[in-house]
Amino acid sequence: MKFDCIVVGGGVAGLTCALKCAEEGLRTAVVSSGMNALHFSSGSIDVLGFGGDKKIVYDPFDDLHEFIKEHPGHPYSKCGGVESIENAIRFFREKIRENGPDLFYNGRRNHFSVTALGTLKPTYLSQKSVFNEKLKEVFSRKPKIALLTFEGFRDFYPALAAANHKRTPMIRDCELVTGSVALPESVTTRKNPHEFRSIDICRLFDSERGIETIAGRIRDAAAGAEIVGIPAILGILHYDRIHHRLEELTGALIYEIPTLPPSILGMRLDNALKEKYAELGGLLIAGDEVAGGEFEGGRLASIRTRNYGSEEIKADCFVLATGSYFSRGITSKFDDMKETVFNFQLEYELPRNKWRRSGFFDPKSHPFLEYGVKTNDLLNPFTQSGTCVENVFCAGAILAHYNPVREGSGSGVAISAAVAAASRIASHCRRG
Amino acid sequence: MKRMETDVVVVGGGATGTGVIRDCALRGMACVMIEKNDLASGTTGRNHGLLHSGARYAVNDPESAAECISENRILKRIARHCVEDTGGLFVTLPDDDTEYHKRLVKGCRAVGIDYEEIDVSAALKIEPNLNSGVLTAMKVPDGTIDPFRLAASNVLDAKEHGAEIRTHTEMVRCIISGDRVVGVLCRDNLNGELFEIYSKIVINASGVWGRRICETAGVPLTMYPSKGSLVIIDYRVNNVVINCCRKPFDGDIIVPGDTVSLIGTTSKKIDYDRIEELDVDDDEIEVLLAGGEKLIPNVSRTRVLRAYSGVRPLVSRSGDVDGRDITRGIVLIDHEAENGVKGFITVTGGKLMTYRLMAEWAVDLACEKLRVDVPCTTHERPLPGSETPSNRPVPHYFDGISKSVLGSAHYRHGERMDHIFSKDKKSYGLVCECEMVTAGEVEYALKNLCVKDMIDLRRRTRLGMGPCQGELCSYRTAGLFNDLGAADEQTAIRMLKDFFEERWKGVKPVLWGDTLREIEFTYWIYQGLFGLGGVPDEDEPI
Repeated sequence: MKFDCIVVGGGVAGLTCALKCAEEGLRTAVVSSGMNALHFSSGSIDVLGFGGDKKIVYDPFDDLHEFIKEHPGHPYSKCGGVESIENAIRFFREKIRENGPDLFYNGRRNHFSVTALGTLKPTYLSQKSVFNEKLKEVFSRKPKIALLTFEGFRDFYPALAAANHKRTPMIRDCELVTGSVALPESVTTRKNPHEFRSIDICRLFDSERGIETIAGRIRDAAAGAEIVGIPAILGILHYDRIHHRLEELTGALIYEIPTLPPSILGMRLDNALKEKYAELGGLLIAGDEVAGGEFEGGRLASIRTRNYGSEEIKADCFVLATGSYFSRGITSKFDDMKETVFNFQLEYELPRNKWRRSGFFDPKSHPFLEYGVKTNDLLNPFTQSGTCVENVFCAGAILAHYNPVREGSGSGVAISAAVAAASRIASHCRRG
Repeated sequence: MKRMETDVVVVGGGATGTGVIRDCALRGMACVMIEKNDLASGTTGRNHGLLHSGARYAVNDPESAAECISENRILKRIARHCVEDTGGLFVTLPDDDTEYHKRLVKGCRAVGIDYEEIDVSAALKIEPNLNSGVLTAMKVPDGTIDPFRLAASNVLDAKEHGAEIRTHTEMVRCIISGDRVVGVLCRDNLNGELFEIYSKIVINASGVWGRRICETAGVPLTMYPSKGSLVIIDYRVNNVVINCCRKPFDGDIIVPGDTVSLIGTTSKKIDYDRIEELDVDDDEIEVLLAGGEKLIPNVSRTRVLRAYSGVRPLVSRSGDVDGRDITRGIVLIDHEAENGVKGFITVTGGKLMTYRLMAEWAVDLACEKLRVDVPCTTHERPLPGSETPSNRPVPHYFDGISKSVLGSAHYRHGERMDHIFSKDKKSYGLVCECEMVTAGEVEYALKNLCVKDMIDLRRRTRLGMGPCQGELCSYRTAGLFNDLGAADEQTAIRMLKDFFEERWKGVKPVLWGDTLREIEFTYWIYQGLFGLGGVPDEDEPI
């Protein structure tokens, strides 16, 4: 098999990069080993949420100029400038909209999404069932708000959210009620009705009857609230229609709150990316893993996968988007860590006790989150012998020198680096 | 200031203190136990949970060995649901001298431990993961004991016989009147309130913290704290206890426990003022893993879940400063006879295995002083949950309730599982999937087992002790605490944060491989998705 570009890793970075490559007309393949991190994400896209000292960032693109200057090794410094980053995020939003949710954005500014603990988190793109213009407008009028969960759903507790919600400036002066909604009896008799997870409840909205039943109960539990927050369970495919119908039937504005995995919000994005990619003719090799590669003259010539065995899969360019520890992009052991697939050089520290700080929630977060593959300014990695591999590009959590959680930059970096890599690959391939 | 009166105050809620309070209550005395943290939160919960057969002491300390085998037989009877009768093996490693095996055989015979010399091939049948190169093997009646369950059961029985239990209550000092200790000044650590308990006798059962308690009564107690560290590996790689057949050293034992196995133990002398700092050093982890691997080669390929350490309360009776005279035996001090201070007894030294005997001795002495003529029954009377002689069949509640859910509850609470499951299906909804902890078990523990926060709950139920270390169940539990009225919202959120910080202590030293993967995931969820670290504790705007 021979491709223009092979992307190793099927997360938000890998899929976005592959999508862009496919759109550029490149023959593209993605090798993906399993479920990606979108399945436990917020489903919002953060570009830059926090600056130094955890200061909230309101204008991510404006602040990025200074941020890049202060962080020369940061992946954002390797994405072709702030304008390219902004374009990459726009590209992502437009592509997602074609097969998936329409993403709300607050001009060039961040907005706040609500967490399951009721805190507010700055983010750049949110699904419209999470935040939208109407909600923004009604919130400013200090409405009555209801936070509701579903009986037997283990993964959302409105009272805990409400307690913190009350402490935020946006909600402080609002009347806030909490409650829970009984699920239709047709579901609850089947198994233990107290072990539901998001995905189980999600299915209730597949029928109009289900929507109507639940809408009636939401209306009752909301006790006249103008805005109703519920855990994010409004369907993986028909969320727009379900959201719209629920609002229509309850007469309230409804917003979804991301909670424990599996993340329905993230799954929507995952589906949208995969569908668009398939539409553009891209190949997704799912459930497979890259077992190694063949290097020739300082370039990666081909890869082997577990399922294809000894068959070489060739490409002009490759993308390494295998994620960090959790996704097994980086493998760590007692006294060392390495990049899993090609053993590229990592930027990290030894001994092991430097990997973390002494408190779990230390405000400075943990160094291990910033470890990753060392790259040049074009996102090319280095072999252990020090050769820069110019036809391999890295994107997403495998990259060194950024802390997605502390900066609130995870998906933004993934998308920006992915699009930058794809553009470089496209011009590489055009040059022949 | 609030003031209470009772016959006996017991200071310390570890194995010894909980044993003492049960014994006092069973003999009909009015009694109050105070514990500055939680039940079994000190040394009691920080060892390998070995139900000694005594064989480990048979060569060098026959007296301790004899105590062990006698208590071993008692505990198998009275604490069935806290004990697993796994059996144990002593094996000679390829590089060791088989001479020790012979000495051990002799020692066991002298003490009366039922040993059996077996072929290595027979040992490998019993424990297939065992190093196949071992030279000799013998079977001993070792087992495992869950110290958390043991302490909680003792307290439950004490409460049911009228004792008052105050956890998270710290003793500030003894109250002295003339030549007598007449009570203790306490602080409720949950709200900071000070109060006094006046009593006829104060029994100091606070283990390594005993020196501080003695100081407030003006009596000396020389302690040589010794830190012992252990690692937990994420699978139960062995089903019987495996000991090295040689003089005890670091990393010479692997004990199965619930769903995991533990490799123990190091021994490091520490200064008394450092008994609260329980860090596990990197070199200890290396030694323990290397030792464990020699016994069970699979250990090197198994995820390490946590590391922790405890401090042994070693006492020098003669005041010998270089520590050669240090005993690992039971130390019972009548401070009236020894220091002329009346109404004050210290029981310390010893080991988890002999907690009941320590309690018996201490309470015998207290009874003598109070002229209470009731004999000890703790060696005969089963703990709550262990009443029925044989493991009765697990009751059937509903279709669809999985056997492992019932089995886990029965395993942890014995017959008291009847108080856990009800007709309300909510009671068997799973909260912690790793350890099969249900909402019913959480509610039962909250109501009956002195649970004040999520960390206490973990000790009563194993919630959050499994492979994911509380990743999903902790948020659910915080919600449940709030739903059940056990914590207001802010408290529940603070507990959640504390819970992760507490789990982190044991994970930090072994942060590599799958443990690092799991931690990254947990961090994404609770910091990235929930913003938990940024929630201020005090009631201030966010």
